Amino acid sequence: MNFQSLILTLDRFWAERGCILVQPYDSEVGAGTFNPNTFLRAIGPEPWNVAYVEPSRRPTDGRYGENPNRLQSFHQYQVILKPSPPDIQELYLESLRAIGTDPECHDIRFIEDDWESPTLGAWGLGWQVWLDGLEISQFTYFQQCGGIDCRPVSGELTYGLERIAMYLQDVDDVYELEWAPGIRYGEILKRSEWEWSTYNFERANVELHQRLFDDYEKEVSRLLGLSEKRGKGGKLIFELEPLARLVLPAYDCVIKCSHIFNILDARGSISVTERQRFIGRVRLIARAVAESWYAQREALGFPLLAQAEDAENASAQKANEASE
Amino acid sequence: MKRDLLVELGVEELPSSFLREGLRSMREAAEQLLREARLAYHAIETLGTPRRMAMIIRGLADRQPDREERVMGPAAKIAFTPEGELTRAALGFIQKNKRAPEDVIRVETEKGEYIALDIHEPGKTAEELLPRILEETCKRIHFAKSMRWGDNPVAFGRPLHHLVALLGDTLIPFEFAGLKAQRTTFGHRFLAPERFELRGADAYRDQLRERHVIVDTEERRERMKRGLDRVAKEIGGEWIVDDFLIEECLSLVEYPFVIPGSFDPKYLELPSEVVISVMRDHQRYFAMRDPDGNLLPAYLNVVGTANEPALIQKGNDRVLRARLEDARFFVEEDRAIPLADRVPRLDAIVFQNKLGSVGDKVRRIDALAQWLAPDGLDKARVSLAATLAKADLETLIVGEFPELEGAMGRYYALSEGIDPEVADTILDHYHPRGAHDSLPATELASAVALADRLDTLVGCFGIGLMPTGSADPFALRRAALGVIRIALEGQLDVDLRAALDQAYALYGDKLELSVEETRAKLLDFFIGRLRVFLRERAPSEIVEACIGAWEKNSLRDLLARVEALLAFRETPAFEALAVAFKRANNIVKDAPEGAHDARLFQEPAERALREAFLGIEEELKERVEARDYSAALQLLGDELRGPIDAFFNDVFVMVDDEQVRSNRLRLLREIADAVNRIAHLHLL
Repeated sequence: MNFQSLILTLDRFWAERGCILVQPYDSEVGAGTFNPNTFLRAIGPEPWNVAYVEPSRRPTDGRYGENPNRLQSFHQYQVILKPSPPDIQELYLESLRAIGTDPECHDIRFIEDDWESPTLGAWGLGWQVWLDGLEISQFTYFQQCGGIDCRPVSGELTYGLERIAMYLQDVDDVYELEWAPGIRYGEILKRSEWEWSTYNFERANVELHQRLFDDYEKEVSRLLGLSEKRGKGGKLIFELEPLARLVLPAYDCVIKCSHIFNILDARGSISVTERQRFIGRVRLIARAVAESWYAQREALGFPLLAQAEDAENASAQKANEASE
Repeated sequence: MKRDLLVELGVEELPSSFLREGLRSMREAAEQLLREARLAYHAIETLGTPRRMAMIIRGLADRQPDREERVMGPAAKIAFTPEGELTRAALGFIQKNKRAPEDVIRVETEKGEYIALDIHEPGKTAEELLPRILEETCKRIHFAKSMRWGDNPVAFGRPLHHLVALLGDTLIPFEFAGLKAQRTTFGHRFLAPERFELRGADAYRDQLRERHVIVDTEERRERMKRGLDRVAKEIGGEWIVDDFLIEECLSLVEYPFVIPGSFDPKYLELPSEVVISVMRDHQRYFAMRDPDGNLLPAYLNVVGTANEPALIQKGNDRVLRARLEDARFFVEEDRAIPLADRVPRLDAIVFQNKLGSVGDKVRRIDALAQWLAPDGLDKARVSLAATLAKADLETLIVGEFPELEGAMGRYYALSEGIDPEVADTILDHYHPRGAHDSLPATELASAVALADRLDTLVGCFGIGLMPTGSADPFALRRAALGVIRIALEGQLDVDLRAALDQAYALYGDKLELSVEETRAKLLDFFIGRLRVFLRERAPSEIVEACIGAWEKNSLRDLLARVEALLAFRETPAFEALAVAFKRANNIVKDAPEGAHDARLFQEPAERALREAFLGIEEELKERVEARDYSAALQLLGDELRGPIDAFFNDVFVMVDDEQVRSNRLRLLREIADAVNRIAHLHLL
């Protein structure tokens, strides 16, 4: 199974199980979790089922295209099921069957692995999933997002596409993967790995990135009307009404800050003492966005909740009519 | 009639520590609730796998005993109004006991007339009581971290899927987390996933075993070990026993299958610590060795499904190859940069936010280790060892395998041709890692090990990070015990008070507490640890007597006092002296200032005591200063025991004549002060 048919298979599988298929986010993210289709939609009471591929950037993992297993940009396949259904593990195992790994023939284990993103103020409990000793997925029940308790809880399934493809194709070098018939992974992305590794580690303009970080951080406050004053217990105070805040552009600025921080880190220009402060700054603006998103959805009456209730009522009515 | 109760909770894969803690708290909750419900039972067994927590309560009584009890209420004069009506207080009492006013009786007691209720309550049946007891038991199951799932309002270690409760073969319909107890469970996730009906406690293990689930942890452990032995034998080696891995593997599968695997022998060129770490910590494989103890290019893998072992082995071999290749790459890369060149880069690793970087710490360790080192040690070597001690934290391999800190530094140092004793210190200074771990073998390693620990202790205490209760994130208790063990069982003594002050001074102005406060808190902390450490060697009153006299300097000095006093306790003089000094100490509190005056003595016994004391005073002082506490105690026993006994027999100290009394008290205080410099004998 080549790389693109792996994606197509997962797309089909999850679409058939009621997931909306969306496209990767058009800004640099460290993981599928940063995509607003996860980070924002996991907040609040509205149901949400979605699947997408996310090219994910980890500047410090770059190896100039020389390591057969490590990349500064790789692909996650991300699924969010909210609320997490009782059969979520079975659904996941079925998806493995769909891509040609029969759990009866392999050794599949769920190994404790708690997940935390200090910059997003998010954490969850769950596992990494091992296929014959290879970690192929992260499986997380979100407990908090942007500092807000998740009610209901979202189940997040993250497939490491390169690893799974290497397993399925029985190759030891990621660049030898067949992406599409006749085209290898290396032909598409090897040069990119070298250029981005060189950029992230050696050439990125530190001063520019430091300035960008500061500017994007300020932009978040401006777009949300976030006051510098704090209420009781450090409560954030907003000077704009929820619907007057530009939550999505503000969130893009959070994503930018997070990525810029990663580049500065790869450039080795973040000192030990600054590090925690940078993380704290991103966490604060992520929290401001999360709270604003919640307030905005609430002001809108949590539209997807009403829609889900309507759908439920309609099907109940249909069942009643049928029984009459 | 007595029956067995079977309870099973079906869960998604629980981490191993969760399963242990969950089962323990489930049992404790059940024990307490059954006791409160007065429902007798014979014993409780707990069983579990990653996917189920189970409990069998053996010989559970059919019903609670009837309750026959007279409950006393308020006094009659409070219970009735002058008109003879029941008061509010009386009605409250009646209501609390769920009875009616006509049930009230009057009872004559010694303290007067009271109202009372005679309660006859037939015992409830187990079937009636259990639903609430089991629900409450589930609520009290505790995990280190609980989570929520879906829109379930309940938090648990991992999502719950089903409940089973069978008393004999009767279903107990309890509810928890939106689930209703049922008779059915499931077998192995892949080998026997169908639901099936459980027959009860006795058949539980067998029914599950038929479906590839070994629910009894001990049985699972035995089966796993037999599997490891068998496969190891087949491939001609032995597996390296590792308790952590045994527990871990046991808790990852419901049914342990063991399959072998192998790797290219070229990876055996890596340090064996690296190969074992890759297998153990990343992949949970058991390493193998030959009868001579050499590592084999093979491993054993405990898996949960093994229908196609060759396929599974191929996958695992591939993962291991990639990991070993990574490790080899790291080691090769690491060797390109000498350890010494890595030291400046330690400035970029945080030790603690307020306490600065690891680089800062290394500079302090360097200075402190030189200060601690005895005169015979070459200061330049101490400085080199201290400076290189943490350099491997900056290597790729330790970044990937933090547990190899020290071991890799030693390995790289040896391969660079660095003095072997210095190289050994890089690993050795991390010892002892626990109460039973080995100690640094040389004075050099001991100096660095002591400096490292004292620096951490002073730094953390100096910014208020003392351990509280079970919270000790910087392992300060272990650090203090390490200092104590290195000094008392190892190679190098410490002058505690001076060392703490020296460590404090090296922090410059970084610390928040004053030097006095930091020292006082740390000395208290050390004394607490010393009590624990010495408890195994001496009775606590001996330890207290010595700690009282100890000047908080040399740790070995304290031990010398304890050992001398322990030996002295076996001599005939001990008892008498202890009694005498207890008496002396009780009364010298009232002694006025100043020295005694020989002219004021009246009795021969007091003159004799004075003579005896003056006769040994100088020698006693010398022996204490030479820390020869055995000789000092011996001297006391030989020379003072008779005179002090005679003194207390013949002389009445507290006479009315103020001058005579004060003079006697002064003599006793002088003697007590001299003796208290050895040990506080009055505490015995």
